[in-house]
Amino acid sequence: MSTLMEVRDAAVHTTEAQLVQPFSFSLEAGRPFTILGETGSGKSLLAQAVMGLLPEGLMASGQLGIEGETLDLGRPGSQKRLWGRKVSILPQEPWLALDPIMAAQAQVEEGYRFLRNEESDVARQSANRDLQQLGVAEARRKLPGQLSGGMAQRVAFAAARAGGARIVIADEPTKGLDVARRDEVIELLMREVRAGGCVLVITHDLALARQMGGDLAIMLEGRIVEQGEALEVLANPAHDYTRRLIAADPENWQTLDVEISSAGAPVLEATGIGKTRGGKQLFSGVDLTIRPGEIIGVTGPSGSGKSSLGDILLGLLKPDAGQVQRATGISIHRYQKLYQDPPAAFPARATLKQSLADLVALHQLEEVRIAPLMQRLRLAEHLLDRRPDQVSGGELQRFALLRVLLLDPVFLFADEPTSRLDLITQQETVELLVELARERGCALLLVSHDTALIEKTCDRTISIG
Amino acid sequence: MSSLVFAQTPALRFSLRKSLGLFILAGLVVFAFLPLIIGGADPLKQSLRHSLQPPSSAAWFGYDHLGRSMAARLAAALRLSLGLALLSVVTAMVPGILLGVLAAWRGGFIDRAIGAVSESLLALPGLLLVLMLTAIVPDNPAMLYLGISLVLWIEYFRVTRALARPILNSPAVEASRLLGFGPVYILKRHVWPEISAILLRLGAFGAASAIMAIAALGFVSVGVRPPTPELGLMMIELLPYYEEAPHALLQPIAVIFLMVLALQLLAGRQNSGKETA
Repeated sequence: MSTLMEVRDAAVHTTEAQLVQPFSFSLEAGRPFTILGETGSGKSLLAQAVMGLLPEGLMASGQLGIEGETLDLGRPGSQKRLWGRKVSILPQEPWLALDPIMAAQAQVEEGYRFLRNEESDVARQSANRDLQQLGVAEARRKLPGQLSGGMAQRVAFAAARAGGARIVIADEPTKGLDVARRDEVIELLMREVRAGGCVLVITHDLALARQMGGDLAIMLEGRIVEQGEALEVLANPAHDYTRRLIAADPENWQTLDVEISSAGAPVLEATGIGKTRGGKQLFSGVDLTIRPGEIIGVTGPSGSGKSSLGDILLGLLKPDAGQVQRATGISIHRYQKLYQDPPAAFPARATLKQSLADLVALHQLEEVRIAPLMQRLRLAEHLLDRRPDQVSGGELQRFALLRVLLLDPVFLFADEPTSRLDLITQQETVELLVELARERGCALLLVSHDTALIEKTCDRTISIG
Repeated sequence: MSSLVFAQTPALRFSLRKSLGLFILAGLVVFAFLPLIIGGADPLKQSLRHSLQPPSSAAWFGYDHLGRSMAARLAAALRLSLGLALLSVVTAMVPGILLGVLAAWRGGFIDRAIGAVSESLLALPGLLLVLMLTAIVPDNPAMLYLGISLVLWIEYFRVTRALARPILNSPAVEASRLLGFGPVYILKRHVWPEISAILLRLGAFGAASAIMAIAALGFVSVGVRPPTPELGLMMIELLPYYEEAPHALLQPIAVIFLMVLALQLLAGRQNSGKETA
């Protein structure tokens, strides 16, 4: 096994603070390397430092050894000639990284022509061969907009390595993907590993780390706390943080078994609802009766219409068939929704205090109810003076929960409420959500692409798509 | 060290630009309105023995071909230009923004109808529209004002419509509606904070183009009629005396230049995409 790249004492700092502590690692041919950590732990900064892509104001130090050469990480720009030729990046959400007005094959061809200096017809053949090998030969003449997400990902992958790079850096390659798509990406990355290259994966996804295998480093607050063989680390975690991380994986949750009280008049009844989008039947003939305090899970692959179902129940979307009946005598404002991306669900430029005050004023609520609820949701008082983009995703999602709880909801539709949160935060948030819903007799419709999460938390499950 | 300095320069340069613009504009406003407060020469009073006299310690700006005080005439012309430009921008901005939000909100027929009206107005060159209106009712500043506003509102309408549509479709607005908030709240909390900075900047550019339009119309003797002092009109009046009194011709040109420069500096491009609220 040969070492493709060696990084010594890579660190990131500003003039005031050290953001990433020095860390050394080496990338071996045929062996993936994964850095696992939560948002803000500095794992992406480390990768950016290695590539020389740090944002302005941040500085790196350390050395990078590649093919017998040593580069100084403190001088960004020296890595530039490695880009595409030796090291390439698989972008997050690759379909956004492709040129929308250029055919797939031409985008792959460019790497061969301009980085490997192949003649144009040789380059075309090479690009063709790559696309064929990845099973997307039919994408050749298509524009990225005409490709499915999975195909676009393959094309982006082909384009990323057309320059001949044997080291691929993948930053959160599975962010927001469902299980089927995640397996596709992993297969794509493993193909590179089997071919004698190396993949450096940056992720917060435990399942991805497990499936990649190879070496694993766990990062917490800018420091690598644990490192070793991936399967070994995950089976016998030494550091407390790693243990908590593994415990927070939905697979390892305790099943919340609570007596299901089917008493109480239904708050919502749907009969025979169906929805078609873009000529594709999402679902049809769905009957659903929701009673107070019930927790119902909805699973299905992305694009299957999970969110549409919830939106129809809330009256935000019109069904093509069937109807939704709400309980009479209950205010329309007691049917609420939690969003996937918490920052996108608040007025961006108002402080949280302002947003809550607006709500209190509108519904003439008692302001004294806020403080105990905040305590219950473990939200610190000082967060109120911040804007939505100045608090963490987990905190903001709890604020969103606080906001809807003020209206005493009878039905809450939570649309992938934790898919953008880290594992530990996800567990906290879901637990709180379920607990409060039970306590207040609020029906909860929980949508998630994560079947384990749904299985462990919900009374019953609807599977669509 | 070097990257920190890098990070600071844009902000510094931005505030320098803006304060320079503000400084020039404030100077022009003081120059224009001071005579109203402390009193000054009558811009219409002729005295032929001063005809085309160059600037002196008694009269800093000299006299024009009819012996009228250039200082008084420049001040009066500035008041007219600035006032008319400001009025036009406000009159264009308010309906432009409201119609833009309406079109983005309701979509469908309303969007297409307002869009069609704005596009048909856009098909005419702006200056031509103003020219037509002033030709119908000559020598009336109100027509000038109406014409300029009619040209300017389209910009605000289109920008507002384009900016407001994604905001109105965002989960944040959906959440606010579910929580029971009405359209006024959504405009106040969601739409306006996001679009105000861009629209105010557009307003400064609009004022600059209004000033240019007024001067251009004066220059072709369509806008304001003599003897009313107006910058474009002053230029055309003083053009024949260029040989004897270049200072007189250059003054209104310099004033327009400064005014447009000040507004452009104020409106200028911001370096970082993000604006602080």
